[in-house]
Amino acid sequence: MTQIAANHPAPAETAMQDAEWEARLSKIASDKRMTPDNITLEPGALSGLMKIFAGLGALGLLVTIIGGFTINPHHALAAYEVGVFTALAMTLGALFFVMVFHSLNAGWSITLRRQFENVAWMVRWVWVMMIPIVAIELISKGVLFDWLDPHKVKESHLLGLKAPYLNAGFFSFRFLLYGVVWIFLSSKLLGWSIKSDETGDRALGRKARFWSGFGIPCFALTTAFASFDFLMSLDYRFFSTMWGVMYFAAAALASTAVVTLIASRLLSKGKLVGLVHEEHFHDLGKLMFTFTVFWGYIGFSQYFLIWYSNIPEETAWYGFRQQNGWQWLFVVMTIGHFCVPFLLLIWRKVKRTPVLLTAMGVYVIVITIFDMAWIIRPMAYLNAGAEKIDPGYASGEVFLDIAGVVGVLGIFGAILVWKIGRSNLLPIKDPMLHEAMSHKNYV
Amino acid sequence: MSAMINNLLSAVADYFPMVLRKPAPRFVTERGNRVYGLVAEFTETPKVFHAAEHVRDAGYSKWDVHTPFPIHDIESAMGIKTTKLPLMAGGAALTGVTVGALLQWGTTAILFPQVVQGKPMDAWQAFLPVTFELGILFTAFMCIFGMLALNGLPRFHHPLFSHARFCHASDDTFVIAIEAEDPNFDPVKTRELLEKIGGTHITLIEDED
Repeated sequence: MTQIAANHPAPAETAMQDAEWEARLSKIASDKRMTPDNITLEPGALSGLMKIFAGLGALGLLVTIIGGFTINPHHALAAYEVGVFTALAMTLGALFFVMVFHSLNAGWSITLRRQFENVAWMVRWVWVMMIPIVAIELISKGVLFDWLDPHKVKESHLLGLKAPYLNAGFFSFRFLLYGVVWIFLSSKLLGWSIKSDETGDRALGRKARFWSGFGIPCFALTTAFASFDFLMSLDYRFFSTMWGVMYFAAAALASTAVVTLIASRLLSKGKLVGLVHEEHFHDLGKLMFTFTVFWGYIGFSQYFLIWYSNIPEETAWYGFRQQNGWQWLFVVMTIGHFCVPFLLLIWRKVKRTPVLLTAMGVYVIVITIFDMAWIIRPMAYLNAGAEKIDPGYASGEVFLDIAGVVGVLGIFGAILVWKIGRSNLLPIKDPMLHEAMSHKNYV
Repeated sequence: MSAMINNLLSAVADYFPMVLRKPAPRFVTERGNRVYGLVAEFTETPKVFHAAEHVRDAGYSKWDVHTPFPIHDIESAMGIKTTKLPLMAGGAALTGVTVGALLQWGTTAILFPQVVQGKPMDAWQAFLPVTFELGILFTAFMCIFGMLALNGLPRFHHPLFSHARFCHASDDTFVIAIEAEDPNFDPVKTRELLEKIGGTHITLIEDED
């Protein structure tokens, strides 16, 4: 038997030689689609959109604050939270996709990755927008979180047992921890990507992949526990092990929709022409379809087990949402959040036509708002002592819901649009860029 | 439409020669054997790719390219239309969902009403898992069996296997085979076309049935 030396490269040695690397980068840079006109936004190119977003956001927040003081603080805070958790879903989903792209060495998504990174970068502003929620809850000892009320903790045996987890100190610590993890990951991933635009340093891509490997479990735990703390604890009696996965599904879905909207807006401005085309929209549509089905599967699994086992402390959550005027939201969730996008996105034509997929993106964002409203809004009155538990349409208070959501998403959109113009529209020195440029779906 | 019926009859005749005889061949050899078609060999991927484009542009419809490995985008070079399989699978999915829903609703709510676990007899929640699974099952069946049927599989023999050099198509050679049943097929002109586009070892294949 003869042994043959296989000449495996040592672990520290990169498989590609520096000369080959440089040749590849210069080939990408000399591509006729990589003109500065095509891959950067002129200063002020989207300032109109930014002003509209900022105006709507300021108006919405103002109305929410006034409504909170004059009409109903519970209702106003719930409406604000619906907006914040929709925005948080978009950013966390984008952060997840950036880390998945890095750790799987994805080629097709390079031309879209900077937009995913920009949306993920927004997580810091959403976290800032969460500070008022935490502050209001802590100072007033429970507006929507009745487990912060010391009297209730004394009275309720169940709440006393849950107090080691559900208490103000530990809650604040966890809130800070989520912020540290999310802001660290998103700012590093965007920072390295922008830095590699200038230097083309090979180490940056490896660093991003290394941290994505650690980042994905950290992301999974923080997302799940943040959804437990802020959404599931709205009703401290309720518990579901599927809850974190539900919020993750909503997050991944919302982020594909946002990136679709950004890409189509940039294309309509004459940017990224030939770099993002129907093949990339096709893949975004596939991801949108995937997470529509995933959300439906997880949502039904949670509902079905609770419905079948029929244990009072679990069914109360659904039971409350199937009466008192909230029944229509259940129909919106089953038909609007699953059936309609499933039957539309299953068509190849819808995924491959940018206009149609953009319409689907708008629809998915609207339905994500309804998803968060389905979770948060009914709790505004239940925890307020159940004096009044109807949605408040009759008294015309529904404008507060619209104001809260428009306010948060307007500010979110304005900052996002500003951030998009701050850097190149794609990572120009990514060695896999040529794959995304010539990307084609063979099925 | 008539082409579809012809294909169907030909498939039935393949499997059940005692029931249905194959339609008379368009071309026979001097020994009276049915002519399957003409094959030509190519040695390089780009050459066979461009040759396929020429055959497509010459208007042939019943022909195929045999390669040792998948060639990206060969389907557009051959002018193959998108498959009808997704529509068939969608039809099967709707059938499965309908069957699953009606079977449960009909039996537990109408024909043999019985209270299970204190739930309403027509509770849609309880029917959904089986409805979903039956939709998946029918779709999967249609995908695999529909794919086999559209590909003309299973079959025990193919006329090309009688050509000794054809086995190189799984090793180092690309083969273009144009069938004699193609309306554009002409023994002389098709051979000239294959020569013009760079094919070598052009051979007439007989189908001994």
